[in-house]
Amino acid sequence: MPSFKLDDKEIAFEPGDTIIRAAHRAGVDVPHYCWHPGLSVAANCRMCLVEVMPPPGRPAMMLDVLAWDDLHQTYVPQKKPKLQPACQQAAADGMVIKSQTSEHAVKARSAVQELLLLNHPVDCPICDQAGECRLQDYWLEHQASKKRMKDEPVHKPKGVVFGPTIVYDAERCIMCTRCVRVSAELAKDPVLSMRERGNLNEITVAPGRQLDHAYTLMTEYVCPVGALTSSDFRFKARVWFLRSARSTCVGCATGCSSFTDFDPRSQKVYRYRPRENAAVNKYWMCDDGMLDYQRIHQGRVLEARIKGEGVSDGVALEKAAELLKGAAPQKTAVVLSAEHSNEDNQALLDFAKALGALQIYYTGRPQGQGDDILRSADKNPNTAGVLAVSGGKAKPFTDLVGAIKDGKVSVLVALGSAIGNPNDAGALKDVKAFVALSTHDGPIADHAAVVLPASSWAEADGTFVNRTGLRQESDRAINPQGQSRPAYRWVQELAKLLSLSLPWKKVSELRAASAAEAPAATPSAPPPGGE
Amino acid sequence: MEPLDQELDAAELELPTEPMLLNVGPAHPAMHGTVRIVMELSGEIIERCDVQVGYLHRGFEKMCERGTWTQVFPYVDRCNYVSPMLNNVGFALAGEKMLGITVPERCQWYRMILGEMARISDHLTCDGAMAMELGAFTPFLWMIKCREMVWEVMEEETGARMTHSFGRIGGMAAPPTDGFKDHVRAVVKHIMQVLDEVERLLLGNRIFLDRLENVGVISAEDAISLGWTGPCLRAAGVPYDVRKAHPYLKYGEVEFDVPVGSTSDSFDRFMVRIAEMRQSARIIEQCLERMPNKGPVNVDDPRIILPPKEEVYSTIEGTIQHFKIVMEGLKLPAGEVYSYTEAGNGELGFYLVSDGSGTPFRVRIRPPCFLVTAGLERVITGQMMADVVPSFGSLNMIGGECDR
Amino acid sequence: MSKALIELVKKNFPSAVLETHSQLGDDTVVLAPGSWKQVAAFLLDNPQSDMNMLTDLTAVDFPDRDPRFEVVAHLYSLNRGHRLRIKARIGDRDGETVELDSLSELWGSANWLERECFDMFGVKFLGHPDLRRILLYPEFEGHPLRKDYPAEKIQPLLEYRDLPNINKVAPFGPDEGMSFGRQTHKLGIYSDDEEQGSRNKIITPADN
Repeated sequence: MPSFKLDDKEIAFEPGDTIIRAAHRAGVDVPHYCWHPGLSVAANCRMCLVEVMPPPGRPAMMLDVLAWDDLHQTYVPQKKPKLQPACQQAAADGMVIKSQTSEHAVKARSAVQELLLLNHPVDCPICDQAGECRLQDYWLEHQASKKRMKDEPVHKPKGVVFGPTIVYDAERCIMCTRCVRVSAELAKDPVLSMRERGNLNEITVAPGRQLDHAYTLMTEYVCPVGALTSSDFRFKARVWFLRSARSTCVGCATGCSSFTDFDPRSQKVYRYRPRENAAVNKYWMCDDGMLDYQRIHQGRVLEARIKGEGVSDGVALEKAAELLKGAAPQKTAVVLSAEHSNEDNQALLDFAKALGALQIYYTGRPQGQGDDILRSADKNPNTAGVLAVSGGKAKPFTDLVGAIKDGKVSVLVALGSAIGNPNDAGALKDVKAFVALSTHDGPIADHAAVVLPASSWAEADGTFVNRTGLRQESDRAINPQGQSRPAYRWVQELAKLLSLSLPWKKVSELRAASAAEAPAATPSAPPPGGE
Repeated sequence: MEPLDQELDAAELELPTEPMLLNVGPAHPAMHGTVRIVMELSGEIIERCDVQVGYLHRGFEKMCERGTWTQVFPYVDRCNYVSPMLNNVGFALAGEKMLGITVPERCQWYRMILGEMARISDHLTCDGAMAMELGAFTPFLWMIKCREMVWEVMEEETGARMTHSFGRIGGMAAPPTDGFKDHVRAVVKHIMQVLDEVERLLLGNRIFLDRLENVGVISAEDAISLGWTGPCLRAAGVPYDVRKAHPYLKYGEVEFDVPVGSTSDSFDRFMVRIAEMRQSARIIEQCLERMPNKGPVNVDDPRIILPPKEEVYSTIEGTIQHFKIVMEGLKLPAGEVYSYTEAGNGELGFYLVSDGSGTPFRVRIRPPCFLVTAGLERVITGQMMADVVPSFGSLNMIGGECDR
Repeated sequence: MSKALIELVKKNFPSAVLETHSQLGDDTVVLAPGSWKQVAAFLLDNPQSDMNMLTDLTAVDFPDRDPRFEVVAHLYSLNRGHRLRIKARIGDRDGETVELDSLSELWGSANWLERECFDMFGVKFLGHPDLRRILLYPEFEGHPLRKDYPAEKIQPLLEYRDLPNINKVAPFGPDEGMSFGRQTHKLGIYSDDEEQGSRNKIITPADN
């Protein structure tokens, strides 16, 4: 494999790589604003300038420059090598490149950084990006000098509403055009552009349009500074108080890798961020998925209910056990849920087996809109998982409706909250002994005699199988809310009350049992730059 | 040893001279409020005793693991609260050793002056309290009044009498005030006069001498083995002073002597402290002479030192610098360091472990008086009950430092 | 400081030295836990090292490492003016068995320093004459400087120890060495073989 030398470190590259891409893959960070591994090269921020040494025996290309001499208070002519942007310079075998070891590159970066901060407003205390801002990080690493400009900075529009999700601040913008490229290249909707020149330029939306495609939050996500802010997250939390859990998005069957950012003090989830995973979502997530975290706190079932009345969990458990006791196996049905993890479904399946229930169905959220970028029309994260766990025996919900109508179901245990076709909800009314394990309000919780509040995906570890059959684990972020517990815990309690024995005791055993025959996902490690 | 109470009835008790258990403290005036001694007395002689500390334990080292390196300063203030400046400087030096930086010359002299003032305040308190506990109230009042003058200097410089939080890794929170040198000179001169008067009052006093001389004796070998440092060790005749043995700041460039005792009794410890105050005055005089009136106090590195407030409010560079240092904290390189200075009670060590982040991984403070207090048991065993008070007083146990 | 010390230890205990470094001038030797006391005694007695002072002894908890704890001692020679840091890595991941030989026979300062280390980290020093808690009270649960001890954790207030037949409730029980008068201790309430609960029983003179 060909390789080059960057600051005395040997870095291998694949033909066609640029210097920065090869370095990025090797875990070496070349400072950059405008370059993003998932986007085309713009080479406009000039932060990644490196000194490429000439081949042996050849002179370096030198530029004549004027340098300020502090001692004599005058400019003196000097020579300096021509620096190359590492994001655009193709790597060549045997190249010798100096990044942090080149005094010229270091000086150039400091100057670039100073230029970028020239008109920057003193906004850190009110800026949502503070704490994860490139300008802050690179000031410390690459500039670390005080302001020299005495003039009033240029003022530009602030708080410009770009669309339903994004607010733009032109003063903070460094014109890296990442957002322009995300719109054009990822969302295939080139709705953003740049206007004006020099220190007056700003990002603008195409006339008569709004920034309203399905991936608008990615423009905010790639923004290295606080210019684009999401109207959802704006002014809600300070990032240094948040912690991140590695999670899998449950908004659709794609199963994008994500981070769940939550505040450990208030046990509240504030946002999702995409997590790099070459096998699924590359670097991206859609708006629906990014905002799907809201469901963790909205419309939740947080207390046990008997016929709609809130009761303590012990009472509800006893009532549920009473309903299930002595159920005729052939008239007992169990509904699995494609909204829930493999663990929850496996637990219910084992419970059904112990109960002797013969009818297995599954349900989930209704179909939605999909596209050929990331979004799947199946809005359930674990359809493939449910089918795999049940060995393909689970029948669709419509069959259950028929069975209820035929009077074949007298006892029903259902996991989940939503059903595929809302019109089918009426059928559930006819089942008297109906126990539901629900995370959210919905047709299942509405019609159940006993509702046990189940924890959401953010409150328990879980495994989800996406539409391509990839098995991915999602880590717990916050503690179970209210009275809720993971569904498998409820199942365990119920089994205990009914004196049924389940083949597992610990979650790890349950997970092993549920390991469906799907290849385990190998999410690639997050890049050093934290893209 | 085993806790006394458990073994007591195993001990053979012969009537009628049966030992008596006596508890002193923790809330006893002579125990300085924070220590408890359980003694087994035979008549008036202490046969065995158990010194129990920890009543002022506040989880200092645990708290340090939760903030930034800079946020450790208020905690070290509250270790030895009689000479907090020495702790401040000690911790700052430990951080600087880790970063591999040296503060500007002006700051070094400044730190020495403030440190020696703090040492004077520490010794004044100890000797004054010793005298008071033996009934000599006047010297106590005089010395505490002197201490108050030292603290007025501190207040003028730092804004706080006791808990200054004035040290910074890489410098000090503020440069010396304009009248600093004159103020210090006047205060030190007055204190030296008072010391002479105190000596005249006490050293001709039979009661005072009888209660201290040949009381609370410990051998030099024992003192070394117990890890004693500072005035208590020097009173035992061992001339170990970190300032001389391993000079830091500018101690290598100033002249001073290390006073030592000969009999290692409470009286020697009293006198060593008096003599050290005179040496401190000597050091201060030389420092005042050599400290430049102008020049930087802090290192010139924006990664370490906070920007001036007007820059924070008006420029983005200043805001970022402030944000980075306050929110993320200055980052000490990963590794470990043991840094030691001479505090009021002896070798004050800081063993720092950093994982390279802005938050300390471990801050271990080696409190000199913890080990000195550990020796109290050996000092008072075999003595009269009444000698506990002057012996204990002469060790200068500071609860905050001992218990942390 | 002198690297000679590291060489001295290496030469005499080639198998006991696991690792050495002199970061920032602090000479450090990581010792095999089994030879902890042996090497310490050597450093104390050998005239070339003459480490007559144990200035500090503490521990550091690295929850991700195995062994999890590092006991760190700083030695100093008053006569030669050199220092050496010795370390031993001990303890399993769950922190159940954390044991090391006590140095209290060698230096008097080890007594309290090891008690503190036991109190804060739960390191059991084998052969220590009096391994009690020192800064915390006997009823305290856990070892607070361990990384898995939450800093916010609040331990419940202790109830007064149960002292029946006594009008005035004492803040401390007799098991802490305070016997309210001679009568009680003459009656032998301090006997070791009684259980903790019954030891608190005080018989007042009126019962006699």
